[in-house]
Amino acid sequence: MAEPILSVNDLAVEFDTYGGTVQAVRGVSFDVQPGETLAIVGESGCGKSVTVQSIMGLTPMPPGRITSGNALLNGVDILGRKTINGEDIRGDKIGMIFQDPMTSLNPTMNIGSQIAETLIVHRGYSKKQAFARAVELLDMSKIPEAEKRAKQYPFEFSGGMLQRAMIAMAIACEPEILIADEPTTALDVTIQAQILDLLNDLQRENGMSIILITHDLGVVARMAQEVLVMYAGQVVERGSVDDIFYRPGHPYNLGLHAAMPTNDPEAESRLTPIDGSPPDLFHPPAGCGYCARCPYSMQVCIDTPPPTYTLSEGHEAACWLHHESNTQVVPEIHHAGEAVND
Amino acid sequence: MGRYAVKRLIQGVITVWFIATATFFAMHAVPGDPLSGDKALTEKIRANLEAKYGLDQPLMTQYAIYLGNIAQGDFGISFTQENREVNDIIREHFPVSATLGILAIVFAGLGGVLWGALTAIYRNRLPDTIIMFLVILGISVPSFVIAALGQLSLVNINEWTGVSILPVGGWGTVWHMIVPSMVLGLGTMAYLTRLMRSSMLEIINSDFVRTAKSKGVPPTQIFTRHQLRNAILPVITVLGPSIATITTGGFVVEIIFAIPGLGRYFVQAVQQLDYTVIMGTTVFYGAFLVFMVILVDLIYGLIDPRVRLE
Repeated sequence: MAEPILSVNDLAVEFDTYGGTVQAVRGVSFDVQPGETLAIVGESGCGKSVTVQSIMGLTPMPPGRITSGNALLNGVDILGRKTINGEDIRGDKIGMIFQDPMTSLNPTMNIGSQIAETLIVHRGYSKKQAFARAVELLDMSKIPEAEKRAKQYPFEFSGGMLQRAMIAMAIACEPEILIADEPTTALDVTIQAQILDLLNDLQRENGMSIILITHDLGVVARMAQEVLVMYAGQVVERGSVDDIFYRPGHPYNLGLHAAMPTNDPEAESRLTPIDGSPPDLFHPPAGCGYCARCPYSMQVCIDTPPPTYTLSEGHEAACWLHHESNTQVVPEIHHAGEAVND
Repeated sequence: MGRYAVKRLIQGVITVWFIATATFFAMHAVPGDPLSGDKALTEKIRANLEAKYGLDQPLMTQYAIYLGNIAQGDFGISFTQENREVNDIIREHFPVSATLGILAIVFAGLGGVLWGALTAIYRNRLPDTIIMFLVILGISVPSFVIAALGQLSLVNINEWTGVSILPVGGWGTVWHMIVPSMVLGLGTMAYLTRLMRSSMLEIINSDFVRTAKSKGVPPTQIFTRHQLRNAILPVITVLGPSIATITTGGFVVEIIFAIPGLGRYFVQAVQQLDYTVIMGTTVFYGAFLVFMVILVDLIYGLIDPRVRLE
C-alpha cells in the first residue's frame, strides 16, 4: 500500500463541562490513502465529528483538550498547528464541508466573495482575480449561470446549491484532503445523489483524498474504499468497504447491518434495533464500550478493553471474539484466516 | 428601494399628521389657554392672536386653520414671547439639540457595539463581569442623575487640577459638547451593549463562523467580516427607536448643562400652554424622528441582503 497522506495515531480528545470531563475521542488511529475515500461511520455522539474537527483545529479549546496522539499530514504533525513549512493547513491543505449548508454560509456576504476569501487568504489573489476564480469553481461544482449566482446571497440558494457552493469553497485551493462532515444529511435523496456524484467527479479530477463522515451505510457503499466504524469514541472495526459489508468482524457492525432497511419484499418488515444506548462518556466503561449492548458479551469484555485483531490485510476489529481461546461461535462474524469468498 | 422609500415617506407623513392631530386635541382638552396666564397680555397682542388663530371660533374651525398653516410650513407666532415666530425658535435652537442628539447616538452606537463585542469575546471573564455591572448601572440610573453627577465630577476635576479642562455648562465649542453628549448617550449605550453582547454570543457559535475558521481566515478578519457585520443587525434595528429615547432625554440634559437647545423651549411652552410653540416643536420633533426611523430602516436594507426593500 502507498504511503498514507494523513496518518492519525492514538488521538484522544476531552471536553470539560459543568457535569465533568467528557472523553469524546479515546485513542483513534487511522490512515487516509492518497486519492481514496475513507468513510467514518458510527452513531451520533461517537466522536466522528470531534475527531476530524480536532485534526482541523476547529474544536474550541478550552473547553476541548487533545490529551494524546498526533496527526501526520505527509509525515508532519499538524495537531494544534496552523501552518506546516509556512503553508496554511486549514482551507489550503485540508478543505472541509459541513452538515447543514443552510447555516454554514455567512448570510450577509455574497457566495462569490465567500469563495474568493479563501483564495485571497491562501493564494494572495487580488479581489477581482479571486472572484473570477470563484465563478470558475462554482461552474466546476455544476452550478448553472455561475457568474450570476456568484453575486447572489445564501438566502437566494437552495440547500443543494448551497452545498455545491460549500464544496466549491472547500476545493478552491485544491486541498490534498477534503473532509466532508455528513455532507448529505440535511438534503433530500435526489440532491444527496447529485452531491455524492459531484464529490466523486471532483475526486477523480483533482486526485484528492476524502474523509467522509456519515451514518448512512448506503452512502458508504457508494463512495468509500476504506471504512472506519466508530463506537463510544473508539474505532471498533476498520477495513475495506467489502470487509465491512460482507465480512463484519465486530458485533456492532453486525448490529448496524441488522438495523438497515432492505428492499427485499420477502424480508420481515420490522428492523432489528440495537438495544440499549451508548455508554456514558463521562465515565467510560473499563472494558469494551459496546459490551452492555452486545449479545455475545463475556466477562472479559466487561473487565478489559479488547485489543485490535488483524483479520486479514487491512481489516481489523477490536473484539474479544477474535481471541484464540474464545470458544463462542458466532456464525455471522468473520474470523482471521477464514476463506475470503466474493 | 426607491419605491420603498417613497412608500415609507408617505406613511411618515400620515404619522406626522396623526401626531399633529393628537397634540392639537390633547392641548385643547387641558383647562385654560395661553392668553389666560398669570402674565397679563396686552389687548393688542390678544386681539392679534385671536384674529390670526381664531381662538374664539369653534374647535373644528381652529383645527382646519391650524392644519392649513402647518401644511404651508407656518407654525405661527409664540403666544408668550412677543413677535417671535415658532419657525425662528426652531431654526435657532434645533441645530443645537440635533448636534447634541447625533453626538449622543454616535457615542451610544459605537460604544454599544464595541463593549458588546468585547464582553461577548471575554464571556464570563473579568472584563465581561465589570462591563456588564456598569451596563446594569447605566440602564437603571436615569439620565438626570447621571447628568447631575457628571456635572458635579466635572466641577471637582476642574477645581482639583486648577484648570478648566472641560466646561461645566453652556454651549459653543466642541469641548462643551463632550460631557453632555456622553451623559445623554450613556443609557442607550448600556442598552445597546447588552443587545450586542447577546447577538454576538449567538454569532460566535454559529456554523458560518466555523466555516470561516475551516477556510483558514485570520481571526481579525473573521471578527470584522463574519461576526461583527451579522451581530450588528439587531443593534441597527433598535437604533431608530433609540433616537426617540435620546431626544426626549435631551430635554433634561439641556436644562442641566444650560444648553440653548429646543428642549428647553418645549418644556417652557408646555408649562405656559403656549399652543403654537408646543404644536410647532411637537410636530417638528415628530417629523424628525419619523424621518430618522425611516433612514435607519433604509440603512438596514443596505447591510442585510435578506431584507428586500420593495
